[in-house]
Amino acid sequence: MIAVYDLQKLLWDVRKDLDLANRFRSEPDAVLDEYGIDGEERAAMKALDFKTLYERGANPYLLYFCALQIGVDRAEYYAKLRGEVS
Amino acid sequence: MGQIVGAFTASHSPGITGFPERAEPAQREAVEGAFGEVRRRIEELAPDAVVAVSVEHFTNFFLGNLPAFAIGTAGSYLGPVTKEMGEFLGVEQHDYPGDAVLGAHLYRFALESDFDPALVEGGLAFDENFCVPLKHLDPGSALPLVPVIVNGVNPPWPTARRCYDFGRMIRAAVEAQDDARRVVVLGTGGLSHWVGMPEAGSVNEEFDRDFLDRLESGDPARLTDYTQEQIDAAGNGAHEIRTWLVTAGAAGVPFDTLVYEPVPAWLTGTALAAARI
Repeated sequence: MIAVYDLQKLLWDVRKDLDLANRFRSEPDAVLDEYGIDGEERAAMKALDFKTLYERGANPYLLYFCALQIGVDRAEYYAKLRGEVS
Repeated sequence: MGQIVGAFTASHSPGITGFPERAEPAQREAVEGAFGEVRRRIEELAPDAVVAVSVEHFTNFFLGNLPAFAIGTAGSYLGPVTKEMGEFLGVEQHDYPGDAVLGAHLYRFALESDFDPALVEGGLAFDENFCVPLKHLDPGSALPLVPVIVNGVNPPWPTARRCYDFGRMIRAAVEAQDDARRVVVLGTGGLSHWVGMPEAGSVNEEFDRDFLDRLESGDPARLTDYTQEQIDAAGNGAHEIRTWLVTAGAAGVPFDTLVYEPVPAWLTGTALAAARI
């Protein structure tokens, strides 16, 4: 298991900070740089690939709350999580 | 000396207050009827304070510092944490009163009893953990609370045995003080549900009914005979049954199930129970 703390910190901060959530939507690379997120996690965050993030060990509560905060609705979140849509 | 005059457990699914209409009408009626019954019982008990045991869902704590147990000793608590969450839960944001004296006593008593909870003197906000059940059970937010938080959101978790024993410690703590003579313990969470996981919307009725059967037996050996993996079978949200185990330990007697309804529309196996005190 890779260390997912930095990723989870981003998920948590987004959940608590709507400004950060909006900034992630408008300039994801800048935010991902600030949190030091690279590799597959970075690609998955940019693509809102919740299935990969979940499989990489992100806590599902944090993942779900982050998704809602950045404007992904519940049905879309679960469809992505289940790999029904990409 | 103080005594525990009542102990109750309830699910805290956001759907209960946020979107009750999505459940089957008969299920909604059964659940709301049970909440009404518990509210009447608590009113009759006229407690001086409520030790409210639940998880919290990354509303306050994070993986940078995640307590297995925490005790609130504040004089008030904000809930829901944001106005947006308030709209989602159907609960207007407001302050809940805290019993700071009983909270401080419980914290000190825990340490002296070889438990090591986190101390939370202020800044603890509520999410659905307390806001959902208390909307039904104490709509005027008149009851002074001592919040106890158990980690139910991120593994590894405190064992079932440890949770039950934490509850026994709460009972001893209540009996070792005189400021709050009549104390109710309220545990909230569970039963089976999956949050943010592919299985979300499922209910593991077999797990839920077996758990309630153990709770009705009052047998500590059966109640604490759970491995992490056995609870996983009912979802990440099922780990919130730890709050029921704490409450069962505090009560020390069998419980009666007041309602059980598997409610996929609320994403949970939804139940309320009352200790035979």
